[in-house]
Amino acid sequence: MKTLSVALLITIAAAPLGAQQDWVARVSPEIATLVRELTSSAATRGLPIDPLIQKAIEGSAKGVPADRIAAALRALAGQLDVSAAALRRAGPSRPDTDAIAAGAFALNAGLSDTNVTDLARVSRPRHTEAATLRVAGTLAAMGVPAAQTVELVTQVIDAGGQSADVVALPAQVTAGVAHGQGVTPAQAAAGLARAAAARANAPGQQRPRPSHP
Amino acid sequence: MSGKDFHPQVKQLLDGELSLADLPAALRAEGEEALRLLAVVDREPVTFPGLETRVLAELRRRADSPSWWRRLVTPREVRLRVRPWTLVPAFAAALALVLFLAQPGPTPATSPVTVRFVLFAPDAQQVSLAGTFNQWDPAATPLVRTGTPGVWSATLILPAGQHQYAFVVDGARWVADPGAPAVDDGFGRRNSVLSL
Repeated sequence: MKTLSVALLITIAAAPLGAQQDWVARVSPEIATLVRELTSSAATRGLPIDPLIQKAIEGSAKGVPADRIAAALRALAGQLDVSAAALRRAGPSRPDTDAIAAGAFALNAGLSDTNVTDLARVSRPRHTEAATLRVAGTLAAMGVPAAQTVELVTQVIDAGGQSADVVALPAQVTAGVAHGQGVTPAQAAAGLARAAAARANAPGQQRPRPSHP
Repeated sequence: MSGKDFHPQVKQLLDGELSLADLPAALRAEGEEALRLLAVVDREPVTFPGLETRVLAELRRRADSPSWWRRLVTPREVRLRVRPWTLVPAFAAALALVLFLAQPGPTPATSPVTVRFVLFAPDAQQVSLAGTFNQWDPAATPLVRTGTPGVWSATLILPAGQHQYAFVVDGARWVADPGAPAVDDGFGRRNSVLSL
């Protein structure tokens, strides 16, 4: 009975380790060493490690030279740090790793750390910071200017929009560009922001906006 | 027992209401016979056919059941000694848990979404899809030719969230999706972005 229990415990403990070690076979030994260093350091600072592993696998799959992969990994680790700091400025709660990864993506897409802080504040408490930041990063990647991206997301949330309304914004901007005559993503986003503001100011639709520090 | 009907005074004797000496002399012989018959009836052994066999079988069944099961099902007395002040943090923790679970929190979309990827690549011999959803494995998700010449497609069910990807043409050329937003991949190329 004891033998069975110990074997079961080893199996359970070894399973995630095995899954985590799969990436090592996909990268060069040099990159594997760097990833171990960076992920170990990131974990101690409460940062997500999966984006770093994914980036190493991506670079290797694309046949990128090791020195360029190393540079990209260090840049990404820096973005994760900036994202975590921006989220900490948004409030007292400790940022979760999903939100930090989403913030790093938004930074990579063109938002500033101040934008990340503002979006995290407007998300709380009804929306998840990670989802809001992913949407904002996608809008920025579509070509919507950073300030306008923050304004659009803020207007939709302040108008009482649900999580699904926020997640739908990139598709709505795409539809606006597709259906308009020469409409740019920025113009489509501006139109959506105006519509959200009108909804927020409509009689009986106003809700108290949470006070942000 | 005989079918003889005893004198009422003899019945009183049997019921213990009278003694043999209380009976009239004419009834004493009848009283003695009644007492003798009663003594015989009371001393007849009472037997239940098969009882011994059933009891022994039940004892054997209980003895054969596993010890852990006997420990589990046997009733036993458990004594719990509690210091009253220790209940305060316990109740506080339970209340906090109830309030936490009752709090309406954000509800991110978690259901998987079906997505169709399409690429127009008329000169390609093979096209595949690599991204965060398949560990950037170019061999994992091949596209197939559609009925329209030069158009390749693949339909995937992806978890809600954000995904980055690229098409891989002929196993070597990484191409961003022309119909999707893209970000710098850190290697001098672009990754397409999909937010679900």
